Amino acid sequence: MRVVLVAVLAAVLVGTAAAHSDATRPTVYAAASLTDAFPKIAPGGRYSFGGSNALAAQIRQGAPADVFASANMTLPQKLHDDGFCSQPVVFTRNKLVVIVPSSNPAGIRSVYDLRRHGIKLVLAAQGVPVGSYTLQVLRNMNLTSVLKNVVSRETDVREVLAKVALGEADAGFVYSTDARTVPKKVRALKIPAWAQPKVQYGICVVTASSHKPAARAFVKRVLSTAGQKILLRYGFLRRVKR
Amino acid sequence: MSLRRRLLVAFAFAGAALALAFLLLPVAAIFLRVPPGRLLHLLTSPVVIDALVVSAKTSLIAQVLILLLGTPLAYFLATTRFRGRGALVTLVELPLVLPPAVAGLGLLAAFGRVGLLGSTVDAVGLAIPFTQTAVVLAVAFVASPLYIRQAIAVFEAVDPDLIAASRTLGAGSMRTFFRVVLPLARGGLAAGEALAFARGLGELGATIMFAGSLRGVTQTLPLAIYEQFSLNFDTALAMGALLVVVSAVLLVFLKVILAWQPSRLTSGFPFARST
Repeated sequence: MRVVLVAVLAAVLVGTAAAHSDATRPTVYAAASLTDAFPKIAPGGRYSFGGSNALAAQIRQGAPADVFASANMTLPQKLHDDGFCSQPVVFTRNKLVVIVPSSNPAGIRSVYDLRRHGIKLVLAAQGVPVGSYTLQVLRNMNLTSVLKNVVSRETDVREVLAKVALGEADAGFVYSTDARTVPKKVRALKIPAWAQPKVQYGICVVTASSHKPAARAFVKRVLSTAGQKILLRYGFLRRVKR
Repeated sequence: MSLRRRLLVAFAFAGAALALAFLLLPVAAIFLRVPPGRLLHLLTSPVVIDALVVSAKTSLIAQVLILLLGTPLAYFLATTRFRGRGALVTLVELPLVLPPAVAGLGLLAAFGRVGLLGSTVDAVGLAIPFTQTAVVLAVAFVASPLYIRQAIAVFEAVDPDLIAASRTLGAGSMRTFFRVVLPLARGGLAAGEALAFARGLGELGATIMFAGSLRGVTQTLPLAIYEQFSLNFDTALAMGALLVVVSAVLLVFLKVILAWQPSRLTSGFPFARST
């Protein structure tokens, strides 16, 4: 029975393999914040954008990813330590901002206003990189009391952006690059440089990848001058701090 | 038996066995991946307890609303004949086949702060998104058609002669409804309610869009599974196992009710009987 079931599954896999067999097109699992920039760097890639933590979990469960690009270094480093991907390298950096809907219903002017009672604040969930960075910012600024205003913990940074852009939430923490994607819908409030966490994006080639040359070519492209230029254009920071 | 016929039978048998294995394997795998003792232990972790409380509370409120408001609607649709009734019934059933993500969009567009009714609701001082009310609305929206649909069929199947007899014996329409129609329809209504409950308990898409996800407030069991998937796979499995057990109990309950009911009262029921 088991053999037959496996055989049928194999047949289904072969039947649907057309979507996977193209050796020149790497499947890239990338942080949601890279949604706009990555397809510009390599239009031929196949992308799955989401919370880096969810993507890492999928890779651990055997997802057919060739490249993993995370919004932090811890997740790819852990994958590397457990033998799931190559030694990650930093390929870009980012910073956090507070966003409010352009109508700004709660009249928020600075990060400190988030302490006010009754504000609807949306953050990313525990484990999502931007969620951890947000906590660091709040700790750095002695503002952990704003956590009582959190009304939802979203699965990735773009979900936070969507809830604020829709006007359903009063404020949220996202990367400055996300805020730039919907300039008409949200306004970004700066977070002081001294309170910024170290937001480094890590990229690695998945060990189980069957398209390693394409995966390595993709990583090379991201690190190339052209790739870095595109990231800068979308508001990401130079991969090495100057 | 000819060879061809024998081959055909063998093929059909293999196909049936394969389909059975395919349907049972994922459910079994949830229980087999982690030892049962550990699954039980994981069920006592705070994130699971919180999600369980939220799920129980919101489901209960949503189902009471479905029963209180859905029953009159179903009775009205079952007993009244008017132009466009068929279209109306279809519209009521629509959320049943709607993708949950679309349901979430619709709820936001209608009840969100910047939605159709948003300014009205906001003016009264109620903000629905991100609250347990939002979870209840999402559950009620996707689950109620299952109950209403079944209730219409059950009410339609009640013998009109019995209602006429009750009326000619002097009972008013209310008394007739509560003393004749409801007792006759009871089993079928319970079956519809069990289905609605099961569907509501599993609601994910509309809830995550409309209510967000916050532990202890709006994070129901499916939302907690979704979150724990990337944090702690075993905890997600434990909650999955719990939902499998609850769903199985609901299904058995449904089948038991249906076995009790004379068939003429439950005509149009779309599920297979086990007895």
